[in-house]
Amino acid sequence: MSVIVQLVVSGALMGMVYALIAYGFQLTYSTSKSINFGQGELVMLSAFVSLSLINTGLPYWLVVPGGLLFGVLLGLFVERAAVRLALEQKGEGWILLTVIFGLLGFSAAENIWGRDDRPFPTPVPSDPMHFFGIGITPLEISVAIGVLAVMGMVELFKRKTLLGKAFEAVSADRDAAGLMGVSATRIIMLSYGLSGLVAAMAGILVAPITTVGPTMASALILKAFSVAVVAGLDSGFGVVVVGLFLGALESLASFYIGSGWREAPGLILLIMALALRPNGVFGKASIRKV
Amino acid sequence: MWKRLLLIRGAELFAFGMLVAIPVFVNNSYALGLLTLLAIYGILLIGLDVSVGYLGQVNLGHAAFLGLGAYASGLCVTLLGFGMPAALGVSLLVGLVIGALLALPALRLEGPQFALATLSFSALTVTTLNEWESLTGGAQGLQLDRPALLGVHLGAAGFYWLCMILLALVWMLMRNLLSSHWGRAFEALRDSPIATDAMGVGTYRFKVAAFAIGSALGSFAGGLYAFNFQYLQPHSFVYELMVILLLGVVLGGRKSLWGAVVGAALIVLLPNLLSNRMLFQVFSALGLLLAVVAGVRGMMNKSTRPFQAIAPIVAMGSLVVGGMLVANTEDWRKAIFALMLFSVVVGLPEGLMGFITRFLSQLFSVAPPPLPAPAALDEVLAARPMQDKPLLELRNLKRYFGGVKAVDDVSMAVHSGHIHGLIGPNGSGKSTAVNVISGLYAPTGGQVLLHGKALPEGSLYQVARVGIARTFQNLQLFGELSALDNVMVALKGVYRCPLPLLLLGFARREEKRAQAQSLALLELVGLAQQARSKAKDLTYGAQRFLEIARALACKPDLLILDEPAAGLAQPDVAQLIAIIKRIHQRGITIILIEHHMDVVSELCDRVTVLDGGKVIAEGSAEEVKRHPLVIQAYLGVEHTE
Amino acid sequence: MLVVENLHAGYDASEVLDGVSLRVKQGSVVALIGANGAGKTTAMRAISGMLKPTQGRVLLDGQPVQELGSARIAKLGLAHAPEGRKVFGPLSVEDNLLLGAYSRLPAFFGFRGKAAADLARIYELFPRLRERSQQAAGTLSGGEQQMLAIGRALMANPKVMLLDEPSMGLAPVIVQEVFRIIKRLKQAGITLLLVEQFARSALEVADYVYVMEHGKIAVEGVPDEIRKNQRVLEAYLG
Repeated sequence: MSVIVQLVVSGALMGMVYALIAYGFQLTYSTSKSINFGQGELVMLSAFVSLSLINTGLPYWLVVPGGLLFGVLLGLFVERAAVRLALEQKGEGWILLTVIFGLLGFSAAENIWGRDDRPFPTPVPSDPMHFFGIGITPLEISVAIGVLAVMGMVELFKRKTLLGKAFEAVSADRDAAGLMGVSATRIIMLSYGLSGLVAAMAGILVAPITTVGPTMASALILKAFSVAVVAGLDSGFGVVVVGLFLGALESLASFYIGSGWREAPGLILLIMALALRPNGVFGKASIRKV
Repeated sequence: MWKRLLLIRGAELFAFGMLVAIPVFVNNSYALGLLTLLAIYGILLIGLDVSVGYLGQVNLGHAAFLGLGAYASGLCVTLLGFGMPAALGVSLLVGLVIGALLALPALRLEGPQFALATLSFSALTVTTLNEWESLTGGAQGLQLDRPALLGVHLGAAGFYWLCMILLALVWMLMRNLLSSHWGRAFEALRDSPIATDAMGVGTYRFKVAAFAIGSALGSFAGGLYAFNFQYLQPHSFVYELMVILLLGVVLGGRKSLWGAVVGAALIVLLPNLLSNRMLFQVFSALGLLLAVVAGVRGMMNKSTRPFQAIAPIVAMGSLVVGGMLVANTEDWRKAIFALMLFSVVVGLPEGLMGFITRFLSQLFSVAPPPLPAPAALDEVLAARPMQDKPLLELRNLKRYFGGVKAVDDVSMAVHSGHIHGLIGPNGSGKSTAVNVISGLYAPTGGQVLLHGKALPEGSLYQVARVGIARTFQNLQLFGELSALDNVMVALKGVYRCPLPLLLLGFARREEKRAQAQSLALLELVGLAQQARSKAKDLTYGAQRFLEIARALACKPDLLILDEPAAGLAQPDVAQLIAIIKRIHQRGITIILIEHHMDVVSELCDRVTVLDGGKVIAEGSAEEVKRHPLVIQAYLGVEHTE
Repeated sequence: MLVVENLHAGYDASEVLDGVSLRVKQGSVVALIGANGAGKTTAMRAISGMLKPTQGRVLLDGQPVQELGSARIAKLGLAHAPEGRKVFGPLSVEDNLLLGAYSRLPAFFGFRGKAAADLARIYELFPRLRERSQQAAGTLSGGEQQMLAIGRALMANPKVMLLDEPSMGLAPVIVQEVFRIIKRLKQAGITLLLVEQFARSALEVADYVYVMEHGKIAVEGVPDEIRKNQRVLEAYLG
């Protein structure tokens, strides 16, 4: 019994990271109905840059903002280079173009930092502490706190600032937002910047656990996709619930079926969700227009 | 006619003959290996082009189907001792079945969700191949021997010829399929799924079929892939291969069999390109040159945006510079693919073949095959007897959007053979009412009856099947298809040839009949001369008329015209009136939503006036025009305070 | 204040506006009337930058704006309450109003304080909106949504306000209320370009009237002249 609880708890904590990346998808989807298919590479590149910053001897509390800044810039770059043109042409070219930029980022990382996985130093200790017989490491706790803090801050921004409300206005009705003087192009840029920030944060939080390497995010991102689709691309609350659930599920699966199968539950969940509730468990149905 | 056949079939035969003849003259096993791979990738990309080109969806699962097909054939041979034909048959079947199963849920989705679903599917496939070690050998790989084909053991050249023959066969079958009503339906789906549904062509069914066929070709190619390499590893079918395949389709040119094969040739040659530094530099320099020329030309005649011109130059430029700086281009393989694909997607969206075809068609002006004479109108739209009884009834119909009551308790009856006008000020609920009748929206409450029977609710497709056709206020034509094809997509009661016969090219006759019938409908709306023009190139008025012809192709009992005169110039309005009168003479009942009162007065037997989602008056045009509530609805109240 | 010269615009293959010219003087209410489908709404969209004109000029306070996007034009002082109201459904009534003043409020903090006086003014004009200030705009009735759309446009303190079909889809009682509000706006000296299908109501509040037919201005004049013009009535009822 305690084994199961242990698996569920540590899996769920990992699920928080999926939720955070999935949240990044929602940010751009709500403003532009597009997402960055190369988001995993964004996570990975931000982690690598942060690692390089640590290696230059920068203190940890300066590394984090540096890594986040890099994520924001990369997000803005992707929006400009891969997304804007396709959105202006009202096509779906952005899917292919963001896939392409993901591949470019992957190749760059392989050649700049090498293909090997490297440890990511962190000031947070990783010796487990015991609560009611369940071992939780401070590292895992720091991940959970980090995820909630970033999501909380972005939500606060969306609800409490006028710019954040403009963000929601663009999601609701682009044309009308334009009439208020809100430039949709700027807001979409902003959403990609925020999404980059969220991805970078995910990279920095998860790196001490997974180590840093070009492939560190390829499995992570698939699960984040699953979480985003299962929860629905418009429910911030939903991603946390689904993220926790999926994290726990896969931790159980990898223990009882085999560690090679840890990706399977997420993928099956995703295909099932698409079949049964295409707009997500927490999503709203859309109205067809003519 | 002959010139056309000679040029097009001649080019195909010539290319095929050349490729087949190579092993006779050149005895080079490396080159033969590349050629075999070219044939296999040709089949693979023709399959991928069905979803990427014709359906217009980003499919990230095709590499997985290659892998599934390869393992299916491989296992059939190693475990079950199948011969080559049986093993290939199993591969094909696996792709068809799994493709359909994946498509059932995934194709309800559009755009990003579809891409995500296929991406997850391919990850799941690779995971399974890797982890199911007892069956697949896992990461160790699967070793197999090429089985005999009908008792004959094929050598390298023999197997190459087999692959070429199969490519030629696939080419022919797919050409027959894609030039039939199937191919047209695929393309129609891409341009307007709503209109495809509203024409009674089941969007969903055709999408699933298209995806399953494409996937089946993918896994069929997988079978050949297994017999070619005789060693399989799950690792070969990952994401990177998928991107390369997309590069092939996009670079070669979408919606083109030639494009798929040219794309296959390019991706077969790419690895060689990368391993030779000199060659790579020459090619990247050529690419840069092409990007600069295309960019400058595009900017000069203002057909492209600045970003579209500059970005490919930057990308190709960084290839050239990078090629000089980097020691080993192989290491940067993925980045190179990415930059090339980026340049093509942004700068040359029609692909190489699109580019070349345009060039060639300027060089040789090939007349399209002649069209048959239009069919008699009686054959197409049999005249219906006029009977003065209700055809369509609305009973207390309601449709709310949030707090807004767009249609609020509307009851009306449309009599058979009538032209029934539906008018009212903006926002009075006319369009919403029509959208509920035609199945775009499900009603919030109330009933719609056709011939006294309840209509299916909330399904455009099912409503169209029971005999209601409509046009759209905001045009929903299939822009990339010709006027004739637009009508032919919707045509009912002609396409009967079963799929296997159709694949073998036995549907030519019914195709001619469909053309003749469709031409008759185009003639009815005065567009017979523009039958070959792309719908999006027609004038606005002609597009409106084309929508009417397309709706008639459904051979409906009830035709709903949603503001057909909106945006028309005065002469076009006169023509519209003439067209509607002609349709009325065939005994087809019409609901006409219209703003122009003169049109309504001239045409309508009966008029219902809506305001604020409710019926405020009904009667003849003259009666309602004098009705005080109607005058008030249109002119407003003179209020005194 | 607003001058439109020879404006052409359309969608894809169809040209809806075929050379529209009109002027709106400061402090006046100008009505643009005409039958459905004459191009009134397209004219509004072309003026406010939602649709790029293919030809012609739009001058706002003397400055040409026809090349600018809608967000830039809004910042220069033109507010447009669009056809179909287009309130931000998931956002609260109050947030909708605050967004109306987006271009002149600080983006992050302190915007509430700066907007308080304007909000109070709008709530005074529309007491119903105060009652529902925290409710999601999408759940309001059609009439309330129209009030919100007008209030949202007013929040910008615009130089010119475009009001497109404020009576669309509303019950007669509500329409009367809408027009009472327009009269109050007029008394407050707001410069207003009003598009309206209800000619009679529009004539009552307007200082000057343009009648559109097939993408052109067919007739113009002061309301009394227009009332007598037989052609106007025909344009509506054929």
